[in-house]
Amino acid sequence: MHKYILFVLSLFVLCCEPPPRYESSDYTTSLTKDKFVTSNEVSPTEEYVMITTAVNLPLYVSHDQKAFLQWGKKMGVRTSILGPSEWDVPGQIATIEQVIPGKPAGLLINGTDPGIASAIKKAVAAGIPTVVYDSEIPNSDRHSFIGSDWYEMGRLQGERMASLIGGKGKVACMGILGMENMEAGFKGLQEALKKFPSIEFIGKYDDKANVETAARLTADLLAAHPDLAGIAGFDSNSGPGMALAVKEANKKGKVKLTTVDAEPEHLQLVKEGVISYLVGQKRELFTWLGAQFLFDMRHNTLPLSANDARAGIVPIPRTVITGSIEIDLSNVDIFLQNAGKK
Amino acid sequence: MQLKERLQDRVFSLAASILILCIIMTFIFPTQFPTVENFSQLLLNLSIDTIVAVGMMILLISGMFDLSVGSIVAFSGGLAGYLMYYHDVNFIIAILAGLSGSLLIGFVNGWLIAIAGINPMIQTLAMMGIVRGLALMLSGAGIQNFPYNFIYIGQSKLFGLQAPVWYMIFIVLLFSFLVNRTVFFRRYYFIGGNERAAKLSGIQVEKMKIAAFVLSASLAGIAGILLSSRLGAALATSGRGLELRVITAVILGGASLSGGFGKIFGALLGALFMALINNLLIIGRVSGYWQEIILGLVLIVAVGLDQWLIRKMEK
Repeated sequence: MHKYILFVLSLFVLCCEPPPRYESSDYTTSLTKDKFVTSNEVSPTEEYVMITTAVNLPLYVSHDQKAFLQWGKKMGVRTSILGPSEWDVPGQIATIEQVIPGKPAGLLINGTDPGIASAIKKAVAAGIPTVVYDSEIPNSDRHSFIGSDWYEMGRLQGERMASLIGGKGKVACMGILGMENMEAGFKGLQEALKKFPSIEFIGKYDDKANVETAARLTADLLAAHPDLAGIAGFDSNSGPGMALAVKEANKKGKVKLTTVDAEPEHLQLVKEGVISYLVGQKRELFTWLGAQFLFDMRHNTLPLSANDARAGIVPIPRTVITGSIEIDLSNVDIFLQNAGKK
Repeated sequence: MQLKERLQDRVFSLAASILILCIIMTFIFPTQFPTVENFSQLLLNLSIDTIVAVGMMILLISGMFDLSVGSIVAFSGGLAGYLMYYHDVNFIIAILAGLSGSLLIGFVNGWLIAIAGINPMIQTLAMMGIVRGLALMLSGAGIQNFPYNFIYIGQSKLFGLQAPVWYMIFIVLLFSFLVNRTVFFRRYYFIGGNERAAKLSGIQVEKMKIAAFVLSASLAGIAGILLSSRLGAALATSGRGLELRVITAVILGGASLSGGFGKIFGALLGALFMALINNLLIIGRVSGYWQEIILGLVLIVAVGLDQWLIRKMEK
């Protein structure tokens, strides 16, 4: 019996196919030549798939997904949006891995977490043009990245916060703890604040991308630190939550608020003077240009050789940082007019 | 006895439903569904949930459940990753530390529920938050760049199937044997069916309950290590919502919230059924808006149909 078990175990070990060895690095693209599928004709059944997590998040629906669907309509191709409805990174990975066997014309993947790198690698290895948007995924071999620099968004908030509070006082921040992009934002904020020795950074807090949690955290912070000078927000719901608690505590204007995103709700709070500064992302640009990159790669729109795919050349930009939108009381009306049109 | 037999038939009815679903999907998506690539991916994606579901099935058989399993998945991978990345600890010791931590969480849950008398829902809900917080402290923004030996555990392949699938098969077979053939595990049916009678018949119910929580947490710990190895990253967000997914799979697989019923193969089939529905929605390009609604409806229809059949039989 024992001999039999030992034999079966040995067979398993001997037949085991080891995973490929990857040198750990910060490179985002493959060092080997890329191979991908191209086609000369545009077919209406040609499908481009966007995969994200939290697929129902209003920020994603009204910006990323809207632009992606408009792009598909304009180009006359099929567009699909897939992913789990909750913030579920393994769920997003499972979705990517289950879409790969269907070989879509291109994959537009929201860079939600570095953990999705191995799934992106599989898509690239399967020859599917793959663009990551929003946040960079290191060591993923993706063909292109288009999105924001979250460290920079944090730094911008830090510098503006320091100026708003006169370079002194207590500052806190909130967002989703544990998310790579937000942690980069927190770091940017903290490093900008370090330049001002009279500013005391009291900590980062997890609002779980929830307005009620952000409001409760802000109320607790105001109670624990009556001399709190400012709070910086890093997810779409941080700003509205922080603003609600500050208004309820009658501290509008006394506690300075800065946050990310420029939804109509955020803009209105800037107009009311509750939030002093917004750093917005050019989200429509991520998905529109990202999808266009996929299309151009698939159809060899601007060939660099007789056959880019065979030559191992990726004929699209490898990294595009779309920059940030800075909004305060001086320009908020222009954005509110645009939000009204939408 | 008739009621029990009827409920345990769920394994067969679910297996038949899965077979019918596979046939329908093969006809609708002939080029995408019946492929080796798709099936190996499908099995890989359900492996983590199934390993956790085995532990949850044993808990539900004894009339309890554990809401902290999703957090334990994040914690065990996070602790192992933290030790390997920040302290250069050997991968075997790091894995043992992750598993020991999970086991300890299970023991605390079990002791507070069985001995201190805290309600399982309240205790495991509180533990879910505590352990998620610990996972966040350990993993932060995610830990990557693990040693190759650790990656090997979750990313190596055997006969085209990735390692977690084989671990899942081994765990399902092992616990199926134990639950069917050993007196120790059979006692959980008595405890779930009638706890007082089990106590009076000399079964050490408190110790058995602690053991069930330790087992469930240890399996969640194994799942967490495998997930981190498979992803090549320890994520603080891993396992979010897993507890509800697993409870759904186990109930689909024939367990009852009141205890006393269920088979380990039922846990596997429940997870497989849910993974198939999910696969169908992805291949069919059904928007994420609909996925939760459809999965919820499937659960209500499956359990509702079962209850209707039971009532009809009782009449």
